[in-house]
Amino acid sequence: MPFDIFVQVLLNGILLGGIYALVAFGLSLVYGVAHILNIAHGTLLAISGVFASLVYMHTGWHPLLIIPMIVVPIFAFGYLFHAGLLRPLASRGKHDETIGTVLITTGALIMMSDITGFAAGTQQRNIPVRSEMLEIGDIILPWSQIWILGGIVILTIALHLYLKYAWFGRAVRAVTQDPLGATICGVNGARARALTFAAGSGLVAVAGVLYALVYPVDPYMGFSLTVRAFTIIVVGGIGNLAGAMIAGLLLGVAEAFTAFLWSPKWAPAISVILLLIILVVFPRGLASWQKT
Amino acid sequence: MSRAAPLAISVAAALLVASVPAFAGSYISAIVFAMMISFVMAQSWDWVNGQMGYLNLGHYAFYGIGAYAFAILLTRGVPLVPCFAAGIFFGALAALIVSFPLFRLKGDYFAFATLAVVPLCELLANNFDGLTRGSDGITLPPNYVLIPAFYMVLTLAILTLCVTLWLMRSRFGYALRAIRNDEQVAEVAGIRLFPFKAATLVLSASFAGLAGAIQAWQFSYIAPNTMFNLGVALVPIAGALLGGSGLLLGPLVGMVLFASIEQALLTKMTHLRDAVIGLVIVLIGRFLPGGILRAKWIANHPVLSWLSRESHFEVKGEGGPAGERLPLSPQPVNAEKVVLACEGATMAFGGNVAVNNVSLTIRQGEIVGLVGPNGSGKTTLFNLVSGIYRPKTGRILIDGKDISQFRADEISHLGIGRTYQIPRPFLELTVRENIAIGRTFGASKVSLEEAMRTAGVFAAYVGLGGLLDRKAELLSLQQKKALELARALAAEPKLLLVDEVASGLSTVEIATFVKHIRDIRDHYGITIIWVEHIFSALQQVVDRLIVLDSGAVIADAPLHEAMRNEKVLSTYLGHASAEAK
Amino acid sequence: MSLLKIENLQVSHGPLQALWDVSLDIAAGEKVGLLGANGAGKSTTLGAVVGYYPVQSGCITFDREDETRSEVSQRLSRGMALVPEGRRLFTDMSVRENLEMGAYMSGPRRKLAESLEHVFSLFPILNEKQRQAAGTLSGGQQQMVAIGRALMSRPRLLLLDEPFIGVAPLIIRDVMDALAKIAAEGITIVLVEQNIHRALEFVDRAYVIENGRTILEGTRQQLLDDASFGAKMLGLD
Repeated sequence: MPFDIFVQVLLNGILLGGIYALVAFGLSLVYGVAHILNIAHGTLLAISGVFASLVYMHTGWHPLLIIPMIVVPIFAFGYLFHAGLLRPLASRGKHDETIGTVLITTGALIMMSDITGFAAGTQQRNIPVRSEMLEIGDIILPWSQIWILGGIVILTIALHLYLKYAWFGRAVRAVTQDPLGATICGVNGARARALTFAAGSGLVAVAGVLYALVYPVDPYMGFSLTVRAFTIIVVGGIGNLAGAMIAGLLLGVAEAFTAFLWSPKWAPAISVILLLIILVVFPRGLASWQKT
Repeated sequence: MSRAAPLAISVAAALLVASVPAFAGSYISAIVFAMMISFVMAQSWDWVNGQMGYLNLGHYAFYGIGAYAFAILLTRGVPLVPCFAAGIFFGALAALIVSFPLFRLKGDYFAFATLAVVPLCELLANNFDGLTRGSDGITLPPNYVLIPAFYMVLTLAILTLCVTLWLMRSRFGYALRAIRNDEQVAEVAGIRLFPFKAATLVLSASFAGLAGAIQAWQFSYIAPNTMFNLGVALVPIAGALLGGSGLLLGPLVGMVLFASIEQALLTKMTHLRDAVIGLVIVLIGRFLPGGILRAKWIANHPVLSWLSRESHFEVKGEGGPAGERLPLSPQPVNAEKVVLACEGATMAFGGNVAVNNVSLTIRQGEIVGLVGPNGSGKTTLFNLVSGIYRPKTGRILIDGKDISQFRADEISHLGIGRTYQIPRPFLELTVRENIAIGRTFGASKVSLEEAMRTAGVFAAYVGLGGLLDRKAELLSLQQKKALELARALAAEPKLLLVDEVASGLSTVEIATFVKHIRDIRDHYGITIIWVEHIFSALQQVVDRLIVLDSGAVIADAPLHEAMRNEKVLSTYLGHASAEAK
Repeated sequence: MSLLKIENLQVSHGPLQALWDVSLDIAAGEKVGLLGANGAGKSTTLGAVVGYYPVQSGCITFDREDETRSEVSQRLSRGMALVPEGRRLFTDMSVRENLEMGAYMSGPRRKLAESLEHVFSLFPILNEKQRQAAGTLSGGQQQMVAIGRALMSRPRLLLLDEPFIGVAPLIIRDVMDALAKIAAEGITIVLVEQNIHRALEFVDRAYVIENGRTILEGTRQQLLDDASFGAKMLGLD
């Protein structure tokens, strides 16, 4: 493979992996704090992307303006979804809680896809921003992708700093590690869980807008992203942002090279097969992450 | 309701369904056909969830694999019967393969990983287009087979119900329910987990595979997006949960209801059908944790209550020796024989060393008290001996055999029984079933029938004689502890580990318990290690005291010697005791 | 003057009733022990006082105000703090982050630096290890973090649940000394402890709880003199 093509594919993979990592952050935080595996997580990305594309088509606004338009309602939706449907399940036994969570989030996935498909059409869409090209030697990159990459880096660092230094960010980590310990420090666990669920939803909405800037979106593509995000947090560790970022980048790069060297149709298989292999090879490593 | 009535109703219902193609048109027959397929899917799924407690969201993958195996072979000219056999075989094979990674997971992780299998299958069906014709799908030669397919799936549905009934009453089924209630306790009770789990998944997948094959035959067209559709995949699951997972008739009732809702929607709506189905699924998840059949108004309804009844093993005639005598064969006591030896056993959690270089020897027929302050490592030591943990260093020998690397069920079969500090009976099962599970899967290895029949003797022995058919979750703390003792004894152990039984008991109750401990040793030759805080209880019966502090043995001596030991008094009892004397 | 008063407390964990009738009356500045066998209800009592377990009946009065039904955070801001059984540290967070979490409520947040200095003066070893993850510390040091974390909220009442479990014998002495210093600052202490000798060495007064009921109360000397007390505690009837 010529070097310039190698770099091009690598950069594509990094971009894709960065977006995957953003999706995984939300899933990981929510699972860590609230022990909810939100099967509709990736579908939130899909509908965010679809609606962002609609807004762009109708208004032609700058994507930076569209992001808050999408993120604020999705954040609010996430909060209400958790408060109204998921939080009441906590009083059940473990198995019944799992069943309730799975049914509610999967039912929501089906509803969101179908309603979005009905309202906005089932076809693939994107946000076709026009962008200058950056040329370094034989490598050609649109500036828009560089901005997206920069955005992902900034978001990741901001999230990391927030969790490390902000009082509420620390409270979220505390609830993840020891809910009782957090309660006796004065943290309101129920509020922390609902806000984290909302924040996770908002984060995936940002990822949705960024995704639609580069790749086509449709209302039904969400679940495959949830699968990727799950693989990423299994590899990177629950609540571990750095781990999720590395795992996300590796997955994105692996998919980009699979698509280029073999065939794009095999790229989505990597995450599931990787997941199953990891489960066979490192059961103990996994078990130690499952501190439930 | 008499015993014959359910059978009569079932036969009548089966005949009624069987007569559908004769008097109703093909439209109605096709609907009933589809309902039966869904029922087979829902019911076979519920063996894994309702009986074993594993939420498998990938059940539809086996259905699709069965359909593809059938269609691929049929289009290549293979006769019909081997094609159906292939549907079963490949469904089962796929289940066996995924068992290995999937059963390393539990709870929501398991659920999610199984769900990921469905899109993987869709992808494979799309990509191996040489075999599957990719997204075009496979069209079978046009054949009007609704009638034979109808009777075939009716037979399969009846078979599915029979298997469910068998599961609810067989030894195999009780292993699954023990796993569902408490997997770790089930393993310590002697149930080897993986074969049971894998066998159940394979069984359920073979039914799904056949259902898929029949569906493909009848519909004569299959494609990746219809066979592995996520929305479709959840319908039988939601149906089973709507009715009541784990109940004999739950999946049937739930699936009929769900399919009726679906039919009503199909005829009335042109758009947003999936959204309404999704909404129904959300509402089931939010409001019906136990399903409709567990609702109070049904359980208390004079006519409908039989629907929600749980099916249990039926005991034909109580049995076993009369009086206080337990049906255990007394073991010859050889006071020289070492039953248990720990050689430098160490166990650490992170930086916290819970058991530190412990060496001790227990001889046959001894009653040994194991004491020490909270956190001194007593329960961790029990967990090492019963195989819940493996020692980081050092060895543990039972009858001279190193068991450091044994699984808990293997250790149980060597004759180690135990109770738990916080009692862990199988909560959803009755007193009788708890004891019978201990007996049929433990070292004694008697049949389930025999174990069920003699369970009453063990229950009576620990004072639960009148509560045989009560569910364990309804017992008081002390009764649960008594039940655990009965469950452990029923397994016919050589060495019994008793973890804190006396706290919360009255003086009279303690005296009874002490008598039992002595009796167990004197009459049946069972060696006992007893962890206890209530000193007066130990004082009455133990030969020897082992004292742990911070994970290490600080004293190992006959009772009265140990109680005069200055170190023991200061670490465990405090000087106050010496002064109080 | 009474700081904490509990009357006829009843608490259940699901179907299981843990407390049947617990009554305590603790004056400001006292050091009081709660003694009793495993499962007697000592930890549940502390959990109910701090608001972690909901109360079925009875009442909890703290500094003349009724706190029976208030939120945990409300009770913390009024001056209660708990060192829970098993420490419950945030094991992946640093020692310093753990301590700072103790000052999560808005009042203590403003005095963060001062409180940290105070904790470090009590437990100098924590100052040295402040960047280390709490889960990597020894049992005794983890216990110091747990006590320090509780102190960060500037409590008037410190509830300690078996603070010597998993602490090496040599370190127990250090922790006891620190507790004595804390008490000397005027903080009221309630200590749940299994080792009667150790407990009576420290407290002025103690209650004995058996099967969810307070069955005995007395000063240190009274309890030491009372032969039936020792017998009761050991079950040496």
